[in-house]
Amino acid sequence: MRLEKCWFCSSTIYPGHGIQFVRNDAKIFRFCRSKCHKNFKMKRNPRKVKWTKAYRRLHGKDMTQDTTFEFERKRNRPERYDRNVVENVLKAMPKIVKIRTEREERHHKERMKGKKGKLAKEAKQELQQGIHLVKAPSVLQEEPSLTLPKIKVKVFQPQSEENHAMEE
Amino acid sequence: MAASLASKFSRGWSLFGGLGSSLSGMLTTANEMTCSNLLSQQQRTFIQMRTVLKVVDNSGAKKVMCIQALKGKKGARLGDTIVASVKEAHPNGKVKKGKVVYGVVVRAAMQRGRCDGSEVKFDDNAVVLVDKQGQPIGTRVFGPVPHELRQKKHVKILTLAGHIA
Repeated sequence: MRLEKCWFCSSTIYPGHGIQFVRNDAKIFRFCRSKCHKNFKMKRNPRKVKWTKAYRRLHGKDMTQDTTFEFERKRNRPERYDRNVVENVLKAMPKIVKIRTEREERHHKERMKGKKGKLAKEAKQELQQGIHLVKAPSVLQEEPSLTLPKIKVKVFQPQSEENHAMEE
Repeated sequence: MAASLASKFSRGWSLFGGLGSSLSGMLTTANEMTCSNLLSQQQRTFIQMRTVLKVVDNSGAKKVMCIQALKGKKGARLGDTIVASVKEAHPNGKVKKGKVVYGVVVRAAMQRGRCDGSEVKFDDNAVVLVDKQGQPIGTRVFGPVPHELRQKKHVKILTLAGHIA
């Protein structure tokens, strides 16, 4: 029994599920559920709909290239039944799934890692640019303690030392 | 706790009230757009009396009109046989305009359940002309045909067809 992929969301279509549309040039569009079929009828592009696999792959959300995907491939030649092969395949399947989930988790971690630093940087920049909205610049000049602490302190310290040196 | 919640809600409502008029206007236009989009997809139904079908073989007819479905009360579906009258025909074909012919529906826009529970549907309504014994009149079949024709004992059409879906 062949498990097809949905044309819209790329999920697996199990036997007895979904609907298929045959265009006049004999191209077959298979859909896993009416949601995907309706989206197709609305002429939506799966690459632009956020919940589809195509979108997630295109935008680097999911792991795309991996050796674990090589096992799941469309083959046009039917495999001859062999008891040993079946046994080995059944043994290998959970192992492969485990490896894939681990790699996917790693990919997700890797993807999420970069964002924290970027967010902090952006927040800092925003604070620096928009501090006059929190406190008026005139107030800031009067009270230097209200400004961003670390930066100002660093600037002031060497000046004070220099002043001491001048006095001596 | 409750008081604070209430105050929050009230603030939210007041905000919405301010924007209410403009927002509602936008929403209604969006709704109309989606409705028209959905309505453009006509509800596909049975092949019944006065349905005009395309002829996808080289029998000489171009368009036929269904005048009777041989099976079913509501009409014919994918794979059923119909009686039809030829409305358009090529000038020197086997079939002439105005003749009453039999035809097998090889493509239907209305979806049809398959043996495994999934469904199949096609782009248009198309027919292959056959004689009373079920043998095709033409010698070629154009476009995809469903494999369900085998169960209906139209193996000849399947062998003539280029694509089987």
